[in-house]
Order: sequence, then structure tokens, then C-alpha cells
Amino acid sequence: MLGTLATILRDNWEWRRQIGRLAIFELVKKSRGAVLSWAWFLIKPGMYIFCFWFALDVGLRVGSGGEAGAPPYLLWLCAGLIPWFFMQDMLGAGIDVMHRYPYLVNKIKFPLSGISTIFASATMLVQLMLMAVLFALYFAYGMPLDPYLAQVPLLLALMFLFWDLVSILFSQLSAISKDVANLMHAMSTPFFWLSGVIFNVKSVPVDWIQAILYFNPITFFVTSFRGAFYDKTWFWEDPLMCGGFAAVFALTLVAAVLVYRQFNEEVADVL
Amino acid sequence: MSSDASSLKDAKSLHKTSVSDEVVIRFDGVTKTYNLYKNDRGRFLGIFNYKKKGSFLGSVDASKNLSFEIRKGEAVAFLGRNGAGKSTALKMVTGVTHPTSGEVSVSGRVSALLELTAGFDMQLTGRENIALRGQILGLSRAEIKELEPGVVDFAELGLYIDQPMRTYSSGMKARLGFAFAVAIDPDILVVDEALSVGDRTFQRKCIERIREIMMDENVTVLFVTHASATAKEFCSRGIVLDQGTKVFDGPIDDATAYYEANY
Repeated sequence: MLGTLATILRDNWEWRRQIGRLAIFELVKKSRGAVLSWAWFLIKPGMYIFCFWFALDVGLRVGSGGEAGAPPYLLWLCAGLIPWFFMQDMLGAGIDVMHRYPYLVNKIKFPLSGISTIFASATMLVQLMLMAVLFALYFAYGMPLDPYLAQVPLLLALMFLFWDLVSILFSQLSAISKDVANLMHAMSTPFFWLSGVIFNVKSVPVDWIQAILYFNPITFFVTSFRGAFYDKTWFWEDPLMCGGFAAVFALTLVAAVLVYRQFNEEVADVL
Repeated sequence: MSSDASSLKDAKSLHKTSVSDEVVIRFDGVTKTYNLYKNDRGRFLGIFNYKKKGSFLGSVDASKNLSFEIRKGEAVAFLGRNGAGKSTALKMVTGVTHPTSGEVSVSGRVSALLELTAGFDMQLTGRENIALRGQILGLSRAEIKELEPGVVDFAELGLYIDQPMRTYSSGMKARLGFAFAVAIDPDILVVDEALSVGDRTFQRKCIERIREIMMDENVTVLFVTHASATAKEFCSRGIVLDQGTKVFDGPIDDATAYYEANY
């Protein structure tokens, strides 16, 4: 099992240059042929954020009316939604990358775990652009440059690592069975709504429901990013949340390695 | 045995200048089994060793206990009927398929003319695909730059080289695929019925280019064909496969004679 993990790490390290360039090609392909090209990476999330802001703040009025001097609701919303965009892509196309790059699977020799890393890297590049926008918004609201922001790069790295693992785990299974891909796509909606993306998990009145929500890794990332940008907390301050995420992370790691060991030689035959 | 050795020598002198003793490809008791299921659902349940009657159809051995060694600089023809396991064996050489049991060891850069049109990204232009493929093989930016004009020139695509590949005709894709595969100076070249690309002029050009590569004493060539004449023209050694097993291995003239007598 450790051997398989070492193989995954070594493959990703040895092929890092190819993976990096293929990630750029992935983005080039997406922006290809559009007049606004790269701007589309920002426009779609922008519309998404606007709609949520409109529905929640203007329509339902859950955001406004906070105590005077509190940071603006839009910042709270963005700090959660922007990391969600990364996770949404990883839960969507990310868990079925083998079908996205069939030629890397059965036409060219390429480490299968690297294919997940290609997609995760491409998605992360978009995420970094969105993060730049978030920082611009943050400073435009006159928020201070404080040590809490130092969590952001750490959280981004952790987010990349975790969702890359998720992609390695599920893309192997999705290659073999369509059911897995469909199941994960169906789960995308509950993952979103049963996480802290658009409400604060701490405000859920029932303790055990709160505890369960903490085992949703999306809750961990969203809450931690909000801690850095809005609430000004350290993500390790909440032992329940950290413990829940650590458990899920360990479980995902073990499952990904086991699945990889079992199937990585078989995937090319069945795709 | 001595006559075998001398005729092998003859064949060598006819086709290649020299063959070194270094073994570049070794198959050691290689078996490749495909488990066939009725549908994807059956396959998925099969993962958990759940073999419901009716969903597991059986296993097919595409390669059965296959053992051979190929030395650097050899040109070997794989002969056999459809389904004899030629392509499976070559796929294992290229490393995209793994053996079920046994061991395959290959040293050197493998360039495969397997399915020429496969492996290109249709959204990218021809030129970008050259760069993409080169990068996957681990070439540096400078090496790709150096290689590019030759590929563009060989493929005869003209202005189309900067158009997305989805606008290409199948012949254009195949030409680009061939041009790239022969341009990268492979250590091992795998040719699977790829010589029927394009019009007659282009085919001649391809054959010329393959001959040129084959004459290079450092390049090992594996060649799959049904046509004995082509095999004789290019190769010095022949391996005849039948239902995944090796039934003959020897000088090309004997191999083609055996193939024609038995199949």
C-alpha cells in the first residue's frame, strides 16, 4: 500500500512538467475561439455570485442588517462561493477525468494519477485568478492585511491535494462504471446545500446535525476560508471541524491508494 | 540450427547493417487476459468478485505465455491472422496495456504508429498538437521547436496546420500522426498497418521514411502486417502468432513461408 502511494507521488513528480503544460493546454482549450477568451473564467462565477447575493441579501434579506461596522455580506458570500467553484469543478468533471483525456489512458503511456493532477492544476489556476479578485474585493472594502490571511495559501494547497486525491479515487471507478460518475454528479447538489457554503454551520440549532455537517469536506474548506477573510479565526481552532476533515482526508487517501493499486492497470482495457 | 543461424545472417546483411547484442524488448511468459462481461454493470459487480450467472461471459487470452527477446537494431515482423494477439503484444510494448501475468521490459523511447488518428486533441490546432505530443514525451521546448518544421513539411498540411484538428479530414489527421511518429527519432518504432495513409505519393514517402529509420542500426522496429511481401521487404526476423501463442520465430523468409503454408 505504501508502495502504491510512493508510485503515485513519484509519477506525479517525474511527470510534473508534462502535467503543468497539459494543464495550461486545458485552459487554452476552454478559452479557445471566444472573443472574451480568458474573461469567461471570471464571468460565469461572477454571475453565480451576483445571483446568490441578490437572492440572499436583497431578496431574503438574510445578509444585511448586521451590526454596524461588520464586514460586508458580499465578502462573506464570496469567501465561501469562490472556493466552492473549485470544488464544484472537481466534483463535476474532476471525478471523471479518464473520459476527458481518453488518449492519455489508452493511446499514450501516461501515469493515470497524473491525469487527475492535470485537471486539478488547471482548475486551481482558475481558482487563483478568482482568489486574486477576492483579494481585490477584500482590500477594496478597506479590510486589513493581517496574519489570518496567511492561511489562504495553506488552505489552497490543502484543497488542491484533497480534491486531487478525490479525483484519483473516483475517476478510476468512473472509468469502469458509469454509475459512479452519475452518483457523484447527483451528490453534487446535496454536497453544496448540506455544507456551509451559503449558511453558517454553527447556526444550525441541532448539535448532532452540526457534527455531521462538519464531516463534509466542503464545510471545512468554506468555513476555513471564511475564517481567514471574514471571521478572522484560525482553522485549527475548531477541533471538531478539523477532526472531521482529518478523518475524511485519511479515509480518502486510503481508499484512493487501494483503488489505484487495484485498478490502474485495468482502466486502459475498459475505457 | 546452423542453417538457421546462417540464413538469419543473410537476412541481416540484406536489410540492416548490424544488430547489437543489447536486448531492448523482453517478454517473459506474458499472458494478457481480458475478462468479458455482458455489460458495464456486470463489470462493475465483477470488481467485487461478484460473478452473477449470465453477466460474466468468460475470459479471452489475447496473449498466452508469450516469451521472446528483441535486440537493439532488429526489425521484426509480427505475422498472424486477425485476433492472433499481435496488437495486444504491441500495446504492451508501448506500455498502455499491462500484462495479466509475466513480465514485459522495454528500454528506450517508443514511438507507435498504432492508430494514427488517435491521441490528438481535436480542439487544438495541428501545430499545438505537435507541441502537446512532444511535451507528453518529455521533449524540451527547444527540441519541439526543432522538430516542428519537419513534421509540418512532411504532413503536407499547408495552411491547415494552424486550424483546429476537428476541421481536418481523416487523411490529414493520419498524415500528421505519421509525420509526428517518425519525426521524433524513436529508439523503438512500432508500426501497425500504418502504411496505408494518404494517396500513393504520400504512401511512397512513408515507406521511404520507414526504410530510412529501419536502416538506422540503433532503431528497433516492430512491424505488424498480413502481407508477407511487405514483411519481407522491411524485416529480418518474423514471429508468427496464433491465438496469443508464439508458433514460429525465425528468419523472415522461413516465417513468411510458415505463415503462408499454415494460414
